[in-house]
Amino acid sequence: MDLETALSRPVQLDCCEGILRGALLTRRAELRKSWRHLVSTECLASLGALGKEVESFLSRQDTFRDWRFAVTFGWMNCGASFEDSLYAIALAHNVERRQSGTSPEPLCLAKFNKLSRDERIEVLYNRYRCPLNIGLASESDVAEELLRQLMVPDRAKLEAGTEFDAEMVLLKLNLVGVRAMVTRDLRYLDAVNYFYELPRRSLIRMRSNPRLLSFWLCIYAQLLCTPEW
Amino acid sequence: MRVAVIAGSISGGFRIAREMESLPGVDVFVVACNVGKRGPLLRWAREILAALKSLKRGALAATTYRYARQGRLIILHHPLDEATSIERLRSLQCDVGLHAANVIYREPVISAFRLGILNAHIGILPGYRGRCVAEWSVLQGDPTGVTVFFIDPGIDTGDRIVLREFVPSRGWRSVQALKNMLFRCDARLYRKALEALMSAEFSFESNEVSNGRRYYVMSRLLTGAVNQILATTLIAFG
Repeated sequence: MDLETALSRPVQLDCCEGILRGALLTRRAELRKSWRHLVSTECLASLGALGKEVESFLSRQDTFRDWRFAVTFGWMNCGASFEDSLYAIALAHNVERRQSGTSPEPLCLAKFNKLSRDERIEVLYNRYRCPLNIGLASESDVAEELLRQLMVPDRAKLEAGTEFDAEMVLLKLNLVGVRAMVTRDLRYLDAVNYFYELPRRSLIRMRSNPRLLSFWLCIYAQLLCTPEW
Repeated sequence: MRVAVIAGSISGGFRIAREMESLPGVDVFVVACNVGKRGPLLRWAREILAALKSLKRGALAATTYRYARQGRLIILHHPLDEATSIERLRSLQCDVGLHAANVIYREPVISAFRLGILNAHIGILPGYRGRCVAEWSVLQGDPTGVTVFFIDPGIDTGDRIVLREFVPSRGWRSVQALKNMLFRCDARLYRKALEALMSAEFSFESNEVSNGRRYYVMSRLLTGAVNQILATTLIAFG
């Protein structure tokens, strides 16, 4: 790098941060208006009391919780189920958690990818019962694999409008979104951006799982108003 | 040194081959492969269209004739991975392949070349692997440029880097303009890489994959932000 480039880098970084923040807030404003195209009235009704909460969260002003502490916290255990913990994170509530003395064995990706679809879902639900754990450094390989799967095969299917597994895609999108919250890694945020921009006809098929769809959009709403990327 | 340009079209192959021709001690071949397994009609229609787009049609025809007469233009009718194509590549006994086709190389194709296949990646390795790396570099305030390295079957994970050249993004108004400029550096940098490989004191740089990250196609939202950054930098720095 030449001296001129090196000296101008901080100036350019300031400019990048400002422009990025502006773009994310513009998308947040757009999401506030357009989320109803994705989560239908029927979907909201099927969520019961949660539906009202989701509606209020997506429609109101910017709310986000800073989860970066999780990086230093180590492996966490939750009393609640995966979905209840994800609900708390998505709606910026507190997550009941306690530090675990031990971390689970690293997940062998080769074995994981050979499991059946139901087994893979079960592994992810159990391992990330406290979803914040996906943000830990020890989970980088798993997170990278989920990101790759989303951005390569899953993206191709959704872009082509072919059949896809809505629950699996939404599960990955939620985990990738949580990883973005904890690590502030722009690549994970952008995977969520990218899926939000996919053809509506594909996204609408995700209504088959209204809970995960709602949580994903709430996590996205938080990511968009998160500063300091 | 025997070098083959693996190209998606004849004219694309010649664009790179021309730059190598004047290198002393280098014999250049052009291998035109059938990207996307197109039928003969579609394939040749594309070739003719590419030739018509070329400003120097006469020169292109003359070069095609010259290469064909000397047995240095190889047209593969089957996909690159097929045994007949690999056998044809091996028969050329080339030292280095130069990537200029939109294909993914598997191990048998790579090992058909004594040293391997070079790729001019439009990002700085090991930091930026994968897709849209030019725009990701701009967004994260990192230098843009091109890395020429020997590929392996992974995504930009080949261990042997021949050269890295920093090419500033300043002065380019949009992501597309910046990427076009970086892509156009390929022929010049392949030549530079071959010169380096032939020099006595050359040694590879290692592509430490653990020091970088894989990037993916960028969303419209962030691409818009990068366009804005480029435009702002252009105004600010002239």
